[in-house]
Amino acid sequence: MKQPISAARSLPRLLLSAVLLAVLACTDLTETPSSFTTPENFYRNEAEVLGGLAAVYAQLRGTLDDYWYASEVSSDEVVVPTRGQDWYDNGQWLELKRQAWTASSPSGLAFMNGSYVTPFTGVARANVLLEALQNVTVPNQAAIVAEARTLRAFYYYILMDMFGGVPVVTNTAIMPRARDTRDSVFKFIEAELLAARTDLPVSWPAAGQGRLTKGAADAILASMYLNAGVWMKNTGVSATSYNTCLGVIVAGGLDACQAAINRADSIINSGQYSLSTVWRSNFTADNGTSPENIFVVKFLNRPDVGLNFIMRALHYNQLTGATPWNGFATTAAVYTAFDANDDRRAMWLEGPQTNVETGAPVNDRSGNPLVFTDSIIDVTAATEGEGPRIYKWPADPARPDGPTNGNDFAYFRYAEILLIKAEALNEQAAGGAPALALVNQVRARVFNPDEPRAGPIDRAQLLQERLFELATEGKRRQDLIRHGLYTAPWSYKLAGAAHLILMPIPQSQMDANPLLVQNPGY
Amino acid sequence: MRLTRYAVPALVGVLVWAVPLSGQGSTGTITGQVTDVGTQQGLSAVSIRLVGTPFTTQTRIDGSYTLTSIPEGAHQLRVTRIGYTPLDQAVTVTSGATTTTNIALHPQAAILSPIVVTGYGSQRREAVTGSVSTIDPADANVGVVTNVNQMLQGRAAGVSIVQNNGEPGAGVQIRIRGATSISADQEPLYVIDGVPIKNEPAEAEGFGIGGAPPLPRSPLNLLNPSDIGSITILKDASATAIYGSRGANGVILIETKKGASGGASMTYDSYVATASPYNSMDVLTGDEYRAFVTQQVALYNTDSTKGLNPTYLAALGTANTDWAKAISRSPMTHNHNLAFTGGSDITRYRASLNYMNEQGVALSSGFQRLQGRLTASHFALNNRLRLGLNVTTSQAKNDYLAYENEGGFEGGVFMNEVIFNPTHPVMVTDSTGTRFYEIGTGSQSVRNPVGLAEQVQDFGTTNRTIANLSADLDLVPGLTGRINVGVDKSEGLRQIYLPIASPVGANTSGLARQINRDNTSQTFQGMLTYARQFGGVHDLDVVGVYEYSEYRIQQFQAEAQGFLTDALGFNSLVAGAVQIAPQSFRTDEKWISFITRVNYGYKQRYFLTGVLRRDGRSAFGDAHKWAYFPGISGSWRLSEEGFMANSPFSDLRLRIGYGVVGNPGAPPYSSLIQVRATGGAKYVFSDLPVIGFAPSSNPNPDLKFEKTSQIDVALDFGLMQNRLSGTVEYYVKNTSDLLLVVPVAQPALAETRLENVGSIRNKGFEISLDALAMSRPQMTWRAGLVFSMERNKVVDLVNFTFLPTGRVSGQGQSNQISQRIIPGEALGTFYGPVYLGVDTLGRQLFSCSVPSASCVSGQTRTPLASDYQIIGNAYPDFSLGVRSAITYRKFDINLQVRGVFGQDVFNNTALVYSTKGNALQGKNFLRDALTDPIDIREPAIYSSRWVEGASFVRLQNITVGYTFNLPGPPGSPRSARAYISGDNLLLLTGYSGLDPEVHANVGIASFGIDYLTYPRPRTLTAGMQLAF
Repeated sequence: MKQPISAARSLPRLLLSAVLLAVLACTDLTETPSSFTTPENFYRNEAEVLGGLAAVYAQLRGTLDDYWYASEVSSDEVVVPTRGQDWYDNGQWLELKRQAWTASSPSGLAFMNGSYVTPFTGVARANVLLEALQNVTVPNQAAIVAEARTLRAFYYYILMDMFGGVPVVTNTAIMPRARDTRDSVFKFIEAELLAARTDLPVSWPAAGQGRLTKGAADAILASMYLNAGVWMKNTGVSATSYNTCLGVIVAGGLDACQAAINRADSIINSGQYSLSTVWRSNFTADNGTSPENIFVVKFLNRPDVGLNFIMRALHYNQLTGATPWNGFATTAAVYTAFDANDDRRAMWLEGPQTNVETGAPVNDRSGNPLVFTDSIIDVTAATEGEGPRIYKWPADPARPDGPTNGNDFAYFRYAEILLIKAEALNEQAAGGAPALALVNQVRARVFNPDEPRAGPIDRAQLLQERLFELATEGKRRQDLIRHGLYTAPWSYKLAGAAHLILMPIPQSQMDANPLLVQNPGY
Repeated sequence: MRLTRYAVPALVGVLVWAVPLSGQGSTGTITGQVTDVGTQQGLSAVSIRLVGTPFTTQTRIDGSYTLTSIPEGAHQLRVTRIGYTPLDQAVTVTSGATTTTNIALHPQAAILSPIVVTGYGSQRREAVTGSVSTIDPADANVGVVTNVNQMLQGRAAGVSIVQNNGEPGAGVQIRIRGATSISADQEPLYVIDGVPIKNEPAEAEGFGIGGAPPLPRSPLNLLNPSDIGSITILKDASATAIYGSRGANGVILIETKKGASGGASMTYDSYVATASPYNSMDVLTGDEYRAFVTQQVALYNTDSTKGLNPTYLAALGTANTDWAKAISRSPMTHNHNLAFTGGSDITRYRASLNYMNEQGVALSSGFQRLQGRLTASHFALNNRLRLGLNVTTSQAKNDYLAYENEGGFEGGVFMNEVIFNPTHPVMVTDSTGTRFYEIGTGSQSVRNPVGLAEQVQDFGTTNRTIANLSADLDLVPGLTGRINVGVDKSEGLRQIYLPIASPVGANTSGLARQINRDNTSQTFQGMLTYARQFGGVHDLDVVGVYEYSEYRIQQFQAEAQGFLTDALGFNSLVAGAVQIAPQSFRTDEKWISFITRVNYGYKQRYFLTGVLRRDGRSAFGDAHKWAYFPGISGSWRLSEEGFMANSPFSDLRLRIGYGVVGNPGAPPYSSLIQVRATGGAKYVFSDLPVIGFAPSSNPNPDLKFEKTSQIDVALDFGLMQNRLSGTVEYYVKNTSDLLLVVPVAQPALAETRLENVGSIRNKGFEISLDALAMSRPQMTWRAGLVFSMERNKVVDLVNFTFLPTGRVSGQGQSNQISQRIIPGEALGTFYGPVYLGVDTLGRQLFSCSVPSASCVSGQTRTPLASDYQIIGNAYPDFSLGVRSAITYRKFDINLQVRGVFGQDVFNNTALVYSTKGNALQGKNFLRDALTDPIDIREPAIYSSRWVEGASFVRLQNITVGYTFNLPGPPGSPRSARAYISGDNLLLLTGYSGLDPEVHANVGIASFGIDYLTYPRPRTLTAGMQLAF
């Protein structure tokens, strides 16, 4: 019996080999992902850098959800009534309409949180790209850097508009940070845009259509200067009277109103932009080529990159092959403010309704002919047909399904630049003729025969012109705050407290970043 | 060369051993019968081993046994059988003579195997120091059992199992001793034949119709319950520490049945079953709906701000369709198992085949399994080398129903079952032929549920092979080396087609999707075990293990839309006009572990176990990939002490254990910045889509294992010769470094990231009792009880005031959440407004605290966030399982009852569908709404009204069997048993929904939410078992 002996002899060897096996067997636990990459292994050439830049742009789409809701539904322009079983949604829409939000209420945790996170995500994407661009050289680098900085500045513009001062961050570390003051955020954005605009092209060749230009940077600046009476002030913004740009000193020691006029003039004199003769062509699916576009969010009738605005407002039965959501309407006050002869009134659907594509009359869900009324009797118990609907961006005939339309959304159009200049001029010389001329230039194309304002122009008329021209384009909250009207009572809403002109930092964000201090009043 | 040095002597050794031993020296024979001391009936399958020799046998059906060729002299017979007290009996063999030794065994209360599998080894039951439950698979495999999880329900204290729904082979939510984690996986670790199994869905998820798709079915459906030899549940941290970082949720050890020596045998068992839904949605009938509309129109005619206008009358149909009935059926299920086993002392095998075809109680849903399994073992080198092979290969075919786990405005079969107008018919015939009735043509958000069930095609086919090969070699006395290599490979194919003819497919003119998913796991274990007894009083058992595992998931998906015809289904994607961009991904992860365990026993009285495991896992931050997990436990067998000699306890044991275990939780790559080409990163330049790469996740280099420490104190006792036995157990479990997805400080690449944040505590008390209430000739009665009570508390969430969870499903419920995770409260806390009733106009009123224009005398129509409060908790106070098994003559009667008490359930179904307002959209609703005073124009508002007590008692199973002994010619059945069995025959509950056992997966750690679930069936089974 030799086996036990040989086994005993070989035991140390066996043990050793077992140990060796254990040690030699892989102890390397490094992860090498297969279906995505990491920043260290990316942004190495122009194609990859442009892929990274596209992702910074892509975040613009997200701003048309919560930021748009917060800007429009909290104003007098848009209302989302509870329609039977539809649209109660945790009470968030009525809360937004009634300006009854808090940091941890349904709309605070939904819309305010989204308005906070979405632009900050854009900031973070831009920071990763800008950091990578410090270690690589690619063709067109200066313009790409300028685009990323402009996008980052625009995301901060949204944050400043909503929340006031927020942490200004230009590196990629993720950590709690204290808020910067509102005026220092303003100055940061201003400095970034002034620096970037020198590297941004006046226009892009066809393949770059939709990318940011010098004009886009100027437009954001013009808007900032017009609102400088609100945004350059850390305290003392009036909730109930006009907050003028006059007397607010911005970069270069300029008065903000003059700075707004300068930026507007830079755009007007660039020769790149003009009013589109047909107002509607700014919103149709082929609006990408409108001469009025200065800064647009590009959409395309393809998966992931389509615009869904028609779904929000249209009735369930108004599209072929899709069921819209029958939500967003406007109030009677806003609808009736539009002149019957104003082409722009067609942005609202009112009266007997048709399928917007086929033109065939449609019924509501109970089989009655569908009629949109001009008023909503009870926003907590509205019927299917109550309230005029937003139909500014008409259905894309080539869309593959309901929410995927190719209409671009303009954050800044040439028409608004004219109105910004008019308002700034009016601050410098109230009721002056140059402001009136600009207003009438915008009006001229939508009335046939022309119905120019007689003048003298005033702030209320300027605000109304902005309503007519820019309704539901995400500007209304900003405008009402500048005009000191945001907390005034209007349909379905009582007068509100002064602190409401700044949104609360959502509780989830306060929790995530203990260095944040809540806005006063919340 | 080295190989031949061992192999040649090895072969010689084998040959020598293989020479028949008969005729060598002087031998004798032992024969006799083993009986039950109570019933005096013969006992089959009793293991009889001659201590210190290889001689072993099993008793025959009548309890008789024979051991031949036994060397003469004094021997010790060790007689063991599950459910009986083991017995050692001295016997003397005389050369050439036959010694007759009859043995009477005492039945025990608990039917327990004397050997307990503990992970990387096994132990004698009395030496186990951790908290371990074992389940007798034969006892638990009753009625229609599709997978091993269903065998655990109500049978082990501290193990809570909620089957997702009544779908065939539905997945389950298992919680062993409470919810240990919040967002990390709560599932226990499954170990099959020593190899840890990654319990990942083998098929990709389906197509959600207007919401999230149904939850996946159980990946364990691919293992036939009849092949399971033993199930052991490791519950406390001292027991699960051997599984270290994967032990926090408990461990379920499954050993499959093995071959046995002692002659070939064959078993065949089969059953057929039929079922019906236990309950169905109580909606208005066609007549009731017409009457309701008529009455509402009359109301409108007197006051046009109320009721329904007359056009609703015109929209009514003339039919009387019971949609619940129309989508259900009396399904047939049948199951066949054939197993044969045999072998010698050297080579043993067992082979089995299973075919199961289970139909769901709803149309067009089913599960089919075809499984083959082979296990073989071979003893070589004088038994010093033991080889084992287990191969299971199976194919599952799933037929999925188009329904939804959660949803909003539109949905699948169960939503439309409730809302589809009952005045309309199922089928309609007109000039174009006979087809399903739909409200309109083309795309519709309300769809004929029968049409949905019949027209939407959704199939999954998975082929899975689980295999392991082990080799044990005795190196020197007491020292054994073991190598175990395991492979688990599954290929799942999901095929979906939404036809043009169906309103869901009309939108895209047909939609075809195919998804391949390929899961591969490989495990290598190298193990050294040293077991020795010293000086007759010291027992030492030391194990050292190295383990390496790799897991990979690969998935590929292709889709096309825009078909001309429904004829091709999902089989020809090229026929679609619109090609959707294909998707693919691959995920890899790796584990490396070093494990040691020491078991020490002194005088069979004091036992001590120490475990240390070092685990490395690829998915964590660079500095945190490795962690140590220790466990220590001891027990003291008081009943062996002299001072206990006169106590009433036949067995008394005190156990104390402490351990630290982990939850790996984090998905692979969680610590990295993931730069991905996602849809959300695409942008449009010049009307062309540009692929964008977005850094889309926040890095967390500090990400590490979630850790749970647990202390466990237990008393095991037996009274009256163990005719009453049980365990009383108390534990405290603290989980820290919770893996939690939380918001991060902005700016960041995403809103949230996975962090180690906060802690949670579970305390619990468990009782298991087994009684042999009666043991007489002709009759025995065993009864068992398990009781568990858990108290869960979120101790700390660091900065977070609360985390919202439990999204509410249904129309008009966007952004509505039903639960909050709040420090100081248990998980599953419902949070919302308190419902007070209605005002005179039928408008809902809620409690409010701060007086304002809308809050008058504590009542408001529009509750604000500040009016929300805690309105219930989904955690049960306690749960109970009771078993009874009676054998009377040839009859056996088994009964199992389960109850869970004190939990609340949010009836999301009733919130959304118990509302008359549905009629405004021509939809049906639940009958309860007819009689409530709420106005037809009121929206559905989540509140305390919908959070209900959901205690229940369920008669889980009753089985009545009859056993025959069939004398007959060779080859005919030697025994047969026929039985009938009923599952879910009775449910006692005050809960108003379909079933109080619910699971909708709607956010982290949310539970107790009931939404449109697949109804649970009541099942009747008839079967027979034949042994040859």
